[in-house]
Amino acid sequence: MKHFTHSVVAIALISALAACGGSGSDSTPTPEADKTFSFTATEMVTNLTDDVIVAGYTDLAARGAALFASTQTLVATPSQANLVAVQEAWKAARQPWEQGESHIFGPVDSLGIDPHLDSWPLNTTDLTSVLSTTTGFDAETIKGWNDDVQGFHTMEYLLFGDGVTTNTKMIADLTANERDYLMGLAAVFRDYTEKLDDAWLISHDASTGKAYGELLKTPGTQDNTFYSSNVGVVEELIKGMIGIVDEVGNGKIADPFGADTSSADTSKVESQYSWNSLTDFSNNIIGVRNVYQGELAGAADKQGIVDFVAAADKDMAARVGTEISNAILTIQAIEGANKMPFRQAISDVEGRKRIQTAVDALSKLQTSLESDVLPLLKTWKV
Amino acid sequence: MKNMSKHVKLNILAATIATVFSANAMSATDPEVLAAAIAKQEAELTELKVQLKELAQQQQAQTEQHQEQRLEQQEAIATVKAESVNSKFSKFSFKSYGSLIYTSDEYYDNVQDTTPERRGRFDLERIVTEFGYQFNDDWDMEVEIEYEHGGTGSSLEYDGFDEFGEFEAEVEAGGEVMIEKAEIRYRPSAAFGVKFGNIHLPVGLSSTLHKPSQYLTVQRHKSEAAMLPAVWNENGIGIFGEVANFHYQAQVVSGLNSEYFRTYDWAASGHQKRFEHVNADDLAYVARLDYGNFKTGSAVGASYYYGNTSGNRHKTNKLSSDGTVSIFSIAGAFVEGPWTVRGQYLNGTLSDSDAITQANKTTPGLKPGNFAQLGSESEAFFVEAGVDLGHFTPIPITIFANIDYSNPLKEVETGIATKRYENTWISAGINYFPIPEIVIKAEAGVQQVAIASIPDTNFFALGVGYQFSL
Repeated sequence: MKHFTHSVVAIALISALAACGGSGSDSTPTPEADKTFSFTATEMVTNLTDDVIVAGYTDLAARGAALFASTQTLVATPSQANLVAVQEAWKAARQPWEQGESHIFGPVDSLGIDPHLDSWPLNTTDLTSVLSTTTGFDAETIKGWNDDVQGFHTMEYLLFGDGVTTNTKMIADLTANERDYLMGLAAVFRDYTEKLDDAWLISHDASTGKAYGELLKTPGTQDNTFYSSNVGVVEELIKGMIGIVDEVGNGKIADPFGADTSSADTSKVESQYSWNSLTDFSNNIIGVRNVYQGELAGAADKQGIVDFVAAADKDMAARVGTEISNAILTIQAIEGANKMPFRQAISDVEGRKRIQTAVDALSKLQTSLESDVLPLLKTWKV
Repeated sequence: MKNMSKHVKLNILAATIATVFSANAMSATDPEVLAAAIAKQEAELTELKVQLKELAQQQQAQTEQHQEQRLEQQEAIATVKAESVNSKFSKFSFKSYGSLIYTSDEYYDNVQDTTPERRGRFDLERIVTEFGYQFNDDWDMEVEIEYEHGGTGSSLEYDGFDEFGEFEAEVEAGGEVMIEKAEIRYRPSAAFGVKFGNIHLPVGLSSTLHKPSQYLTVQRHKSEAAMLPAVWNENGIGIFGEVANFHYQAQVVSGLNSEYFRTYDWAASGHQKRFEHVNADDLAYVARLDYGNFKTGSAVGASYYYGNTSGNRHKTNKLSSDGTVSIFSIAGAFVEGPWTVRGQYLNGTLSDSDAITQANKTTPGLKPGNFAQLGSESEAFFVEAGVDLGHFTPIPITIFANIDYSNPLKEVETGIATKRYENTWISAGINYFPIPEIVIKAEAGVQQVAIASIPDTNFFALGVGYQFSL
């Protein structure tokens, strides 16, 4: 009787296990349809390097120089008009920088330039003590200080209002010492943007290495230790896009946004003094669009990631393009009819709804890039 | 089969004997002769029996003797074995100490944040094992292995629920396991000894007093950790000895690497333990002189550390200056009856601190970012005082007060030094020793940053520590 019970249990177990095994793997050897596709990436990579990435950094360097020049004018002649000119120059420099965040690999990363230029949050306590105890700021001294008292946001802090109720700053509220510091900061900024541009055009390590742009355009050549084939380059480009979409959606927007109005944290809002946050965020995704389309907005059509995706799946290429545009539009729409800055919108009931729409759009775009576009590298017949 | 054949043989033997006896009996016809023969046979038989008995007794005696001998031998072997085991143990030493702590601190989200949030944390701070072996009277060795924060580990896991099954490497724990000391010592006399290998530097009292029962606070002194490697160990060689209650030490050891110097802890993170090999192009020199013994009671002492750091950088082309670190310390301890008062003052200077800051900021991949600026001068001190109530009551409790201060950015070469890293911790608490090997600690205090706009924060900590040696 006992033996019989054991046998029954054993048989039951075996059949159960067999059933499990069977359901998991369908072993019928149906020949899979050929999902591979061909695409010659050389033209796309060359074009993205020259016309999007390097063009952006050259633009940034020029605007960095213009920003410095405007601070010199402000120091020489402190007037409201000259202050406004510096504010405009600051916003102008911000545009190519934020768009460039969609390809934040290479020298901007290896030379550690990002934190020098764009550290956030600011160390306002140290900044206050620097301004109250030091005079006569030269660029070399400032470079030795920690990153949280220099760069874009320190300049922003000095140039604009407190951001709580206004972003307007009167020239009377900007002391001579602050103007000096501003000029020093702008000189440091100009130096770094120039260095970044040189790294892409002349030498990636500012000494003996090749121009980083050349490395990107010539993968697989003998002395190219960075990229062995175009697969690596395209992967870098797609991952760059994913990186910034993730940062905008889950970091820059979601972090200060919080779970609800009570956990929203205005202190974490980037570019809150200038009220430039929404412009920053949309520029970040416009940068993604630049890489995807292959040209800066308004320029003649050239090959971009979209052509790579279309070679595999035309519908997917169109859909991702729409998702990028949608993300940009929903971010821009956060300000609503009454032009509400992001800093205020996170605490506003209607504003929060619009922010949620943008976050959802970004999340959808991120999913498409991660699970549809990136896997194309595996089926790409190089 | 074997049994069968034995039986057969016995039967054959019995039959033969029976035949012989019966033959004799049959041949004798005269009853007297027969009787005499029987008597004779009986007598012979009796004698045989006696002989047999004697033989059996002799055998018995022999067996007993053998057994006694065997027992004696066994006893002798056991004794020898025990002796050899004992002598091995007498040469081997094993010690262990460790601590588990709970802390509750207030922390800030970022540099702009001025409303702190509270967080409680458990930490299996460290478990340390020390193995020692005395080769002979003069030579011995010691290896100390430390498991911090519950050790570390990764594992390969098979996930059968994934489409085709998948192997995944997973990080299991984020602690550390490391050799904190591995030294060989030659000590021909109390006045002179040499040690080499991975040795402890006698800079900072934590190197001497690092067991939970040897400091009063729950965690080791924060002031020291914010300036130099606490329980500092390096590869090198040192001499040491004791003359008339003076203890001296002098060492030549591997130096620090300035690539990892950071604003918040000065030279501490320059301790080279990230790589398999320690760069040794720049060496350092250490000397210490104490009167008395900090480990066992009252003492005063001073130490000096001097060494260049730039040569140990991995990217050697970023910096041409020396980056010399020099650290001076004085310390004192008064341990008498129920009273314990200990204190230490540390002062350090770093040459070329601006050049190092610049080099660190522009070295690819190093990214010190907001922590690049370095103090050309650094300072730290602590004073702890305790009274053991066990001297007055039956309860073995020591109550204590402590102050720790550190400023890794006391002076900078150019510009102004931020006060953000100038910290003071003031606390009070108890040490309870249920048995001498175990200490249970509680501490509460306040942390002040030397910037008025940053509010003071309160902290609370509980800890249990142990130590024993075989």
